Amino acid sequence: MNALLLGPVFVPLLLAAISVVLARNRSLQQLLGLVGSVVAWLCSVGVLLANLQGETLVYRLGGWPPPFGIALVGDLLASLFAVMATTIVAAGVLYTVGCKDVAVTYPAFMPLFLCMGAGLSGALYTGDIFTLFVFIELTVLASVVLVAISDNRLGLEAAIKYLFISAMGTLFLLTGIAALYATFGTLNMADIGQLLAGGSRPLLAQAAAVMLMCAFLLKSAVFPFHFWQPDFHAAAPTPVSAILSSVVVKVGIYGLIRMTTLMFTAEAPLIHDLLVLLGVFGVFFGSLGALRTYDAKRLLAYSTFGQVGFILVGIGWGTAATLAAALVYVVNHSVIKAALLMLAGAIASRTATKTARLSELGGVGKVMPMTGVLYLLGGLALAGAPPLNGFVSKAALVLGGIDAQEWLILALVVGAGLITLLYMTRTWQLIFQQAPSGEVQLKPAGDRQIAPALLIGLCIVLGLYGGPLLDFAARTVAQLGDPQLYIRAVLGG
Amino acid sequence: MNVLFALATGVMFGMGVFQLLRRDLIKAAMGFYILFAAINLLFLAVGAYDGTAPAYVDASNQPDGQPSDPLVQALILTAIVISFGSYALLLGFIAASSRRFKTVDSNELDHLKG
Repeated sequence: MNALLLGPVFVPLLLAAISVVLARNRSLQQLLGLVGSVVAWLCSVGVLLANLQGETLVYRLGGWPPPFGIALVGDLLASLFAVMATTIVAAGVLYTVGCKDVAVTYPAFMPLFLCMGAGLSGALYTGDIFTLFVFIELTVLASVVLVAISDNRLGLEAAIKYLFISAMGTLFLLTGIAALYATFGTLNMADIGQLLAGGSRPLLAQAAAVMLMCAFLLKSAVFPFHFWQPDFHAAAPTPVSAILSSVVVKVGIYGLIRMTTLMFTAEAPLIHDLLVLLGVFGVFFGSLGALRTYDAKRLLAYSTFGQVGFILVGIGWGTAATLAAALVYVVNHSVIKAALLMLAGAIASRTATKTARLSELGGVGKVMPMTGVLYLLGGLALAGAPPLNGFVSKAALVLGGIDAQEWLILALVVGAGLITLLYMTRTWQLIFQQAPSGEVQLKPAGDRQIAPALLIGLCIVLGLYGGPLLDFAARTVAQLGDPQLYIRAVLGG
Repeated sequence: MNVLFALATGVMFGMGVFQLLRRDLIKAAMGFYILFAAINLLFLAVGAYDGTAPAYVDASNQPDGQPSDPLVQALILTAIVISFGSYALLLGFIAASSRRFKTVDSNELDHLKG
């Protein structure tokens, strides 16, 4: 049973290696990509089902017992994030199959895509903080190359920018890891958590907390580390930007949650206060940035910056209800944002110059009524209109905020949330309702839209049947409330 | 020894940050690599115990003294591989962008602004 944890990480890696060998046969490569992502998804769901039986799965790589060996750990939190990640990656592969971009025809595309998926699952499942660094780097390097080969010729510039920025994040992370190792002589997160809970709290360990926080905030593109994100996400090929803007930013959020609930529980109140502040900044700058930007994909990237702010506020309020709401928000936002980015990419693929610039998109959607319906549903979900899943997560967050009696922040956040409605309806009108200015030259066929349609369907299902997800998030928070459960599962005894 | 490590790491961090902030992308890439070298040195310095003897030898002919910490060396090797890979990619991207945009000046590489 524990070996299921290997699936989401090593099956895509193995198939990536095989598909490098099959570089000449693109359809076979794409078949391997689909098989790999679906197997990864099935394995992560299997881990989730085992978690629901009350088990925490631990796989010891090479049979070495923790804290000496590397352990993969599947607890409720890791499973929640990993199922979300594998779902979106599978949808991304499905979109790639029907994508008309030149970039997806390169032999390196599918192996890199699978590597990105494997890195994501690995970073979520690992119980060892140095392995976390390795998997994050795997994700970063794969995604950087994918952006550099983008059809958008500015992808190269975005890739250089992001490689420099992510190097800064890596430096923060490595310095934090070095400080932790110097303090405790261990890299196992459960072991570090146990030693920190045991009361030893030297200054160096607190410095490590600051370093790790900087690294995770940078990965999630939180204010003040956000400036690279719209460039990088908007220049990426459509399936890649869907993954980047929905799942990759959540790895940092996962790290923050893990850090505050498992390792630095005593510092958590201070970190929480900071997260609320940064979250409110993000909500405002993200929403306002989205309102005045010039490109449909860039708008969605800015909106990610805002929506991550909502999640941070939820984590920062720090009560069980708001943390559960933040977890629900994480899942729902990923589904919505991936679908919307794919739809924006599909619309852009019909234009003659393959651009998502709003100035050239006016009226393009007139000939794509189905896309219009999907985009409207996605936009309403993002803005939090019932009965879609965005409403469930926003309502849970607001109810949690009312319970926590954080009136000022709540008012600010809800006010900024209304801006979401403004920019989503505005772009929808521009693309699908406005009469085209002059003659619009459209390509006869664009990208296939099965993947975004499935994701929007998932939005509706998660909106109508939000109960199970809410219950699951509540259970996850209950498990996170007692770090000893994780520590005992990993270290035994 | 610790003072020496601290000084060397500090100087390398300083050099790396200075170089990283240069306008010339190639010089910035050098700063990128110097910073990673500084991190590797930091890892070497934080070994859980200062060892002078090799870590893994037969118990019968184990030399005197504290065995050195093998884990930090493994970590550094991993970090070197990763940082070298990123450095190679970065230089490749800079070379490609110097052909595509005809510049290696980071101030002129601002087409994404808007």
